[in-house]
Amino acid sequence: MKKLLLVLPLGLFLLSGCVKEEEVGGLELNFKATWDDAPLVMLNEYDYEGGLKMTFQRFNFYIADVQLASESSTEDLIDIEFVDFDNMASTSEAEAGYSFLVDNIPAGDYATFRIGLGVPADLNATADSDYSGSHPLARASHYWPGWESYIFAMINGKVDTDGDGQFDDSSVLYHTGSDACYRLVEYTFPVRIEADKVTDLDLVVDLHQLFEDGNGGYIDILENTNTHNIQDLSVANQVMDNFTQSLKIVY
Amino acid sequence: MMEFWRCCKKGAVIISSLLMLLVIFAACEEPDPPAFGEDLSSFPYNPQAYSIEVPQHFNPVPVPANNPMTTDGVALGRYLFYDPILSVDSTISCASCHKQAFAFSDNSALSIGVGDTEGIRNSMSLANVGFYDDGLFWDGRVGTLEEQSLHPIEDPLEMKDTWSNVEDKLRRHPDYQKRFRAAFGIENSNEITRDLVTKALAQFERTLISGTAKYDFSEFDWGQDQQFFSSAELRGRNLFFDEPSDPNAPHPGCSHCHTSVLLTTNEYSNNGLDEAPELTEFDDKGRGAVTGYLIDNGKFRVPTLRNVELTAPYMHDGRFETLEEVLDHYSSGGHYAPNLDANITAFPLTAEQKSDLLAFLKTMTDTDFVENPAFSSPF
Repeated sequence: MKKLLLVLPLGLFLLSGCVKEEEVGGLELNFKATWDDAPLVMLNEYDYEGGLKMTFQRFNFYIADVQLASESSTEDLIDIEFVDFDNMASTSEAEAGYSFLVDNIPAGDYATFRIGLGVPADLNATADSDYSGSHPLARASHYWPGWESYIFAMINGKVDTDGDGQFDDSSVLYHTGSDACYRLVEYTFPVRIEADKVTDLDLVVDLHQLFEDGNGGYIDILENTNTHNIQDLSVANQVMDNFTQSLKIVY
Repeated sequence: MMEFWRCCKKGAVIISSLLMLLVIFAACEEPDPPAFGEDLSSFPYNPQAYSIEVPQHFNPVPVPANNPMTTDGVALGRYLFYDPILSVDSTISCASCHKQAFAFSDNSALSIGVGDTEGIRNSMSLANVGFYDDGLFWDGRVGTLEEQSLHPIEDPLEMKDTWSNVEDKLRRHPDYQKRFRAAFGIENSNEITRDLVTKALAQFERTLISGTAKYDFSEFDWGQDQQFFSSAELRGRNLFFDEPSDPNAPHPGCSHCHTSVLLTTNEYSNNGLDEAPELTEFDDKGRGAVTGYLIDNGKFRVPTLRNVELTAPYMHDGRFETLEEVLDHYSSGGHYAPNLDANITAFPLTAEQKSDLLAFLKTMTDTDFVENPAFSSPF
């Protein structure tokens, strides 16, 4: 019996050495915003249809339900996060982008990348006051009590219609929200996560494309200055549809 | 031989004189904190956890792990908050610029410091200040309450003292010796430091919860306590929060910046107070001076509207004496700057609408808060 007691821990020790630790790696999601492929810098001037010029003060959005999937498994990467280009004050900052590092992803080959744009219904049923601190959903600026919804994407800009160089003629306040505006996008391409390494994935959204009207033209931003009417989500839905088309993966 | 001893004697006198001079010289240098502070170990230290009561529609107040709330910590913070001992000539306390009757702001356009020196900014209300985790002061230059209270002590426009002097005063003060012992368990009065002073002040400030105004009882459907807006208040509320069905119809849109239970996004915005065709032209760069970003010049923290009826004058420089002036400013669309907040656009405001908005804003007055004896001066 005494011998057994001595041998048992040794056996357990040796056995534990045989169990292979799962190999894991990381994935860095690096979001970048552009306007006609040029880095989007806050307060820089951009040409808009009809001879208008625009500047932007805010461009931000929620992402959710980010997953990597292979034939045999699905890895949940992000439940909810907030992508914020509001402080992109220079070209270099805009080129650097806004990043999230997801680690502890099982190493292997994946074929599908999924990303939700906005806040999924279960989380959209909550409110900013349900969260505290740095939680992405704690932002009072992005919860709209009148809609009982988060603002999924926020685009705030100003328009110069008369070419005097002052952006004081009109505002653009596109705030999308409500469950109907949530979009889930799936990309099929090979992604390899290597053990102890970080794989980079650039996600580029061209803001100009978010203003496409679905008929080959662009939204009349002087007639549609904001998307704040919950009874009419046509422009908000168009913006979110455009978002799914605009968001490109660079790997 | 005698000559030899005489010589030695003279040398000894010279050496001892030199030593004495060294001692005197050393005494003239900056003294170390006296090593002989009062032993406080015989005074009681029985820390009791302090739970901050918040209304049901509020989140818990975030409390940093390195400064847990205790009953004695809050009590000490309250004493320090109201005690002019923190200023160089014992004339100014925190409460000089943060008066309970004005929801812990004051009624001066610019804060007044020692010797009637005028500061550069308006005093901000401390209502619910424990929730503001995205920067304090109008420009958000500090991140925590503990860090915030380090600043006014040595600001020449405020308390004009030095921290080492404040520490000395508190270390010598018999009552504070016991209070610091009770709050933090220190063994010796020399352990009274600025770190503990700011921790105690922060503990008291975290208790300053304002959430029992008519606005709360009406907007958040509080069971049997529910109150109802009057017709004018309700019309004002709808102007404040609602969006018109015509997306291009000009409207106040107040709730873009003043929303949720705290009635602020706690973000930074240029609300059009000053014309600045170029971003470099702001006299007070505000947030821009902190971040170094040109696009942040002229931006200031969006203040809470809780108790706004009591916190006149308004804006970071106290330029508007009345709420009517504030509404007129926003109705005008503000002054141009490239970063004028896109949410601020001109809108028509009739006399009746203005009256309705004012009626609604006054529902945010929390009488319980400004009369709560737990927040008043202990002296």
